[in-house]
Amino acid sequence: MSQTKQIKFYNPSSSASSDSDDRSDVTEPLYVDPYAELGNGLPGDLNCCPASPTTVPAKPSLESPLKRSGRRQRTTSIGNQTTTANPSECIIRANNRTIYTAGRPPWYNCAGQQVEPFVIGICGGSASGKTTVAEKIIESLDVPWVTLLSMDCFYKILNEKQHEQALINEYNFDHPDAFDIELLLDVLTKLKEGRKVEVPVYNFVTHGRESQTKTMYGANVIIFEGILTFHSPEVLKLLDMKIFVDTDPDIRLARRLKRDISQRGRDLRGVLKQYLNMVKPSYCNYIAPTMAHADIIVPRGGENKVAIHLIVQHVHTQLQLRGFKLRETLANSYKDQPMPHSLHLLHPTPQIKGLHTFIRCRNTSRDEFIFYSKRLIRLVIEFALSLFPFKTTTVETPQGVLYEGKRMESRKICGVSILRAGETMEQAVCDVCKDIRIGKILIQTNLKTGEPELYYLRLPKDIKDYKVILMDATVATGAAAMMAIRVLLDHDVPEDNIILASLLMAEIGVHSIAYAFPKVKIVTSALDPEINSKFYVIPGIGNFGDRYFGTEPSDEY
Amino acid sequence: MDNNDLGNLKLLECNSQVAELQTILRDKNTTRSDFKFYADRLIRLVIEESLNQLPYTHCDVETPTGAIYEGLKYRSGNCGVSIIRSGEAMEQGLRDCCRSIRIGKILVESDANTHEARVVYARFPDDIGSRQVLLMYPIMSTGNTVLQAVNVLREHGVPESCIILSNLFCTPMAVRTVVNAFPKLKILTSELHPVAPNHFGQKYFGTD
Repeated sequence: MSQTKQIKFYNPSSSASSDSDDRSDVTEPLYVDPYAELGNGLPGDLNCCPASPTTVPAKPSLESPLKRSGRRQRTTSIGNQTTTANPSECIIRANNRTIYTAGRPPWYNCAGQQVEPFVIGICGGSASGKTTVAEKIIESLDVPWVTLLSMDCFYKILNEKQHEQALINEYNFDHPDAFDIELLLDVLTKLKEGRKVEVPVYNFVTHGRESQTKTMYGANVIIFEGILTFHSPEVLKLLDMKIFVDTDPDIRLARRLKRDISQRGRDLRGVLKQYLNMVKPSYCNYIAPTMAHADIIVPRGGENKVAIHLIVQHVHTQLQLRGFKLRETLANSYKDQPMPHSLHLLHPTPQIKGLHTFIRCRNTSRDEFIFYSKRLIRLVIEFALSLFPFKTTTVETPQGVLYEGKRMESRKICGVSILRAGETMEQAVCDVCKDIRIGKILIQTNLKTGEPELYYLRLPKDIKDYKVILMDATVATGAAAMMAIRVLLDHDVPEDNIILASLLMAEIGVHSIAYAFPKVKIVTSALDPEINSKFYVIPGIGNFGDRYFGTEPSDEY
Repeated sequence: MDNNDLGNLKLLECNSQVAELQTILRDKNTTRSDFKFYADRLIRLVIEESLNQLPYTHCDVETPTGAIYEGLKYRSGNCGVSIIRSGEAMEQGLRDCCRSIRIGKILVESDANTHEARVVYARFPDDIGSRQVLLMYPIMSTGNTVLQAVNVLREHGVPESCIILSNLFCTPMAVRTVVNAFPKLKILTSELHPVAPNHFGQKYFGTD
């Protein structure tokens, strides 16, 4: 840790640990241009998932530090530091491919069911080092998908009078009434169910909420920190582990003084007035008593290595009990079972077999490969559409007779492609459905673990009202398709509104998907018996995406 | 009508999706833009299914994973023939499936007084006699036009059994007429219905 130069100011015993305050130099640019980060992730469309594995509530936006009102400000950006601290580790370059690791790994078990995330609540007085403890836990856990939720996001919107009070340090931000507990409860409950949530972004200048919200997803581990995290009994029930950070009041005051005066340009009198009138009484009345709820009390905060170690061990045990390893389990089950009813195989006509012969042959040129796969895709999509519900209807014909026919019950159809190979099927969907909306999901296999990871997600806002054609060119173990289906379910798409369409599937993949999601209709033009150790279908097509887009590694030639 | 009368008639497998396409094309309230869009979709399906009738041989190929796929291969040397004008609506569908296929044309006109059909123009590849011919004509109500067209093809040396008629809508009467005259001709259609949607060509090309 090279950023710990100031730590001795209040904590002479420690030299190896870091403290949240000392990170301020690292995050300084965020203060200079507070909108830079917000703007990056949210270009107009709010319905997106950040590609970073650790989601963090956006920092409150603000102007210059001098004008800021007398309120503690979250200065750290845990997410940025844990995920991009060492960017070179996150990128693997091999065979002309650039693969970014540390996407979102599976958050469900091999039956496709949600595995409840482990929720850690961290409570403690102002400047007690809660964030540092959270950060240390994240570091030592080494779990790729951790969500950090701060109670600061849930401050209530202030009216004009309260706003004025805040400016002269007379609004009590440390009182339980300052928080919107109802909203907090709603967000935390949804996160615990693994659902997508919109976390408010609190603006400490206007004391209102930004119009933009931060999209967060449930994770393997959720860390919820704040001064009053143990205050609401309902919130307490959601916490799997409760940690109280108990730091000496003198040290906390010293940290506060240092932070507010040297970093936020406030005067000693104002800081002390706020501390004595509000921060300290609130701590005694509301925060300290909740220590009784804690499972673990961490004295001295972040540098307490023994405490952190114990916590991390416990979380690891809990995560293992819940089970997140997927791909191998998928590949080895369901041998010799009859094919499920949810599988809809196109009739193996000579023509479909002929098309397959073209695209499977390793010597087929890319031009022909693209042409013949497009023909095949079109047939798959047309067939998939026929599986949606239809109703009988009678129309008038120009010949003057009535004609009894069929129309689709709902025209709200949406295509969702699993990048990259699934994108090759988008054109066909657009060709058969006028003005169709297309969503995209990027899932990559982590080369180290062999597990699929979710990187990118963009779906129509009201996707829950749509029938969804989920597209991937080939399905081997079904791990990526299962993750994509899980994402759709998390967006409230009913299971029986989903059709998974593919050119080629391995039997194992079909079994896994059908077992996990029996109501999802599975459509494919061919079924192959095996997959090899690299999870390619045998005999298969090879890497469909590489062959279609022309990105095959050169050693294949 | 019993199946023995139907000769080599094959119906496109009628799933709900196909039924919807037919319904939209039948509906008099369908806009022209929709009409063309959905007609093209149905045509594509019919063409794909017609190609399915072509002869093939078995063929094993090696996949990029090194395994063998037991596939098949269509013989080359096919060609399309469209009957002007509505048959031409199906040419694009054929082109989308077979990029460089040769396409011949036949113009058949019916005499205003006698209603008798006669061929006034025909242009084929020279070697059409040695090819499989995909004859395209979307609407058949009497079958007379197709009879004349097949006669011309036969005059150019194409055996009856090498002709596949691609059709969207036809009446039972038309099928009987054609099958009686050419029992070896393969016919592929999407629907048998006593009333043919005769507005097809006009609406597709926008001359109504």
